[in-house]
Amino acid sequence: MHARNALVRLSAALVLGALAASTTPLSLGTPASAQGAQVIKIGIDLPVSGGDAAQGIPTQNGALLAISDANARHAFGPFKLEADPLDDAVAGAHDPAQGAQNVKTFVSDSSVLAMFGPFNSNVAKAEIPISNDAGLAMIAASTTNPGLTKGEDAKKLRISHPDVNTFFRVCTTDDRQGSVGASFARKFGYKKVFIVDDNETYGKGLADVFEADFKKDGGTVLGHEHLTKGQTDFKALLTKAEGLGPDLIFFGGTTVTGGGLLRKQMGDSGLKGVTYFGGDGISDATFITTAGAMATNTYYTVAAPNPAKLPSAQAFITAYKKAYNTDIGAYSANAYAAAMIEIAAIEKALKSNGGKMPTRAEVLKNIAATKNFETPIGKIGFDANGDTTAGILSLYKITNGKAEFIDQVTEGGS
Amino acid sequence: MEVFFQQLVNGLSLGGIYALIALGYTMVYGIIELINFAHGDVYTLGTFFTLAVLTALGVSGELHGLPLIGVILLAVIVSMLLCGIVGVLIERLAYRRLRNAPRLAPLITAIGMSFILENVMQLWKGPSPVPLPDFFPNPALDVGGVSISAKSILVICLALVMMVSLQLFISKTKIGKAMRATAQDRDAAQLMGININTTIAMTFLIGSALAGAAGFVSGVYYGTTWFFNGFEAGLKAFTAAVLGGIGNIPGAMLGGFVIGLVEAIATQYIPGGQQWSNVIVFSVLVLVLIFRPAGLLGEALPEKV
Repeated sequence: MHARNALVRLSAALVLGALAASTTPLSLGTPASAQGAQVIKIGIDLPVSGGDAAQGIPTQNGALLAISDANARHAFGPFKLEADPLDDAVAGAHDPAQGAQNVKTFVSDSSVLAMFGPFNSNVAKAEIPISNDAGLAMIAASTTNPGLTKGEDAKKLRISHPDVNTFFRVCTTDDRQGSVGASFARKFGYKKVFIVDDNETYGKGLADVFEADFKKDGGTVLGHEHLTKGQTDFKALLTKAEGLGPDLIFFGGTTVTGGGLLRKQMGDSGLKGVTYFGGDGISDATFITTAGAMATNTYYTVAAPNPAKLPSAQAFITAYKKAYNTDIGAYSANAYAAAMIEIAAIEKALKSNGGKMPTRAEVLKNIAATKNFETPIGKIGFDANGDTTAGILSLYKITNGKAEFIDQVTEGGS
Repeated sequence: MEVFFQQLVNGLSLGGIYALIALGYTMVYGIIELINFAHGDVYTLGTFFTLAVLTALGVSGELHGLPLIGVILLAVIVSMLLCGIVGVLIERLAYRRLRNAPRLAPLITAIGMSFILENVMQLWKGPSPVPLPDFFPNPALDVGGVSISAKSILVICLALVMMVSLQLFISKTKIGKAMRATAQDRDAAQLMGININTTIAMTFLIGSALAGAAGFVSGVYYGTTWFFNGFEAGLKAFTAAVLGGIGNIPGAMLGGFVIGLVEAIATQYIPGGQQWSNVIVFSVLVLVLIFRPAGLLGEALPEKV
């Protein structure tokens, strides 16, 4: 009796579904395919929930602003440009498997011609093989691990088409970030560092470069420890560090993978007065709320220029403030620049295609050919690996709960 | 040598928190043979209840004297009481009707309860780490170069006091006797006139209240919490309960302290030890279970028929 009821209900649902499907195009009056062709999408993959949201949201806002600007000037003629934003955070933190799933979603939607993101290097590592396979161009604003674009590591990621690169970034890489961080630390007179990282692609990569360069610059590395995923107690680790007498603690990783809590717990240890140094992973507001009073006396580098110091970025800063009613984040301007490059590439492809929907391959070709492109963060071009030819790094220091710009370094040729 | 003793203090403090959580695991397992996976999340809930009390009282800075004692008592009692109530509700709503179902059903339900609690907490306080006001003065006692902070003493003492009172409660009171009887043979206990439902609800009340106490001390000790806190702590506490002999109360305590100590000592004395600390903890568990399958203090009981 039960089974039969279920069968009746199921078939009724099927009939209703079929009816609904057949009537939809009629009621709209236009064929579904033409309806779809009017939209071009840029997929956005960032962590926008959990602890990572403090970084993800301002980055996403930068890209969204570029897309609404393009729509405002009707850059695509009859086509409407839409953002397709997906979240790659699971249980409060960025997740490579979720990122890969999101890219698959973009790939299966033929109106997505390019994607922006991700935020984190380990997520990028999971996504690049998929975008490489589909020929979908992706530009990231903040993923700084060198292995994503350079050398053997990068080749291994391009599984389906080893000679095609689909991954580009407008930020510089950790081999630069780590060595600039190390040379700043030495310049400020720090001699003995204890290094901690979160054992992720980004964090460990950054910490390894910092270690090598700090030694090269004449400093002493007392120890280098890796955290375990989900760790919240750092007291034993800090006691170990304290016994070695460091004058600097370097952290490679992000706020949610331990950067914030580690700094907070230093306050309960003998390392209370010791300076803390990190990369762009701790350059967010969550770091300051997590570490509390201990956030002070922390240095961090960011793989982006300080937009406040750039004349070309002033218009963007004002527009961002007007649109979102907050100040820009560390990577908002980078995100805006990356989305601008994608929009320009799609625009060019539309023109050369006679106003018809371009292919992903044409968009990819145009992005790869980007040279001297004017953006709020300066002129950007991509080298053969997909890295920016204009890498600027800036250094900030947190004092009394506020981050202040200290200095910046422009990449000299390399 | 100072470093070694310092690591002992670190390990015992961390172990004290594991031990308090492990007590709840072990009590529930002892009486209905259910691994209550939602228990770690009840502990996280305890940190949030503590935060709510501190916020409601308007505590923001360090307290001394009577106000300090008052705030501690109020926060501990409210956190324990609310967590206890949550525990009883979970048992009443989710586990009771599955008491005679195949074992897998309540186990999956427990995992489901854990997800529900995590997501409720995420909706309540957001997905980022939340700081707690630092009201507890933290002077450190200097014993021959080893600094023992007031917070560490609080954690270790609270854990020991809780265990001793629990042990006394179970061995000396009438309800405790009912619990032991129910654990031994539920049907026989019922035939002797013991109200099984009340006894099991009582077990959840006490076990979850202990998680609430653990939530309070962890809030004071770390000064921060977030909705996912209970996952790792719950896993370690469960391991502690198994290590000590699941169902055995001093065993859960011992297991908690052993795991905390192993973590701290491994971090100190193995180069790059931090990343191996979990591996070592679980290797110790495997080794103990090979030689003492019932755990350190557990007794090998014949399978119930």
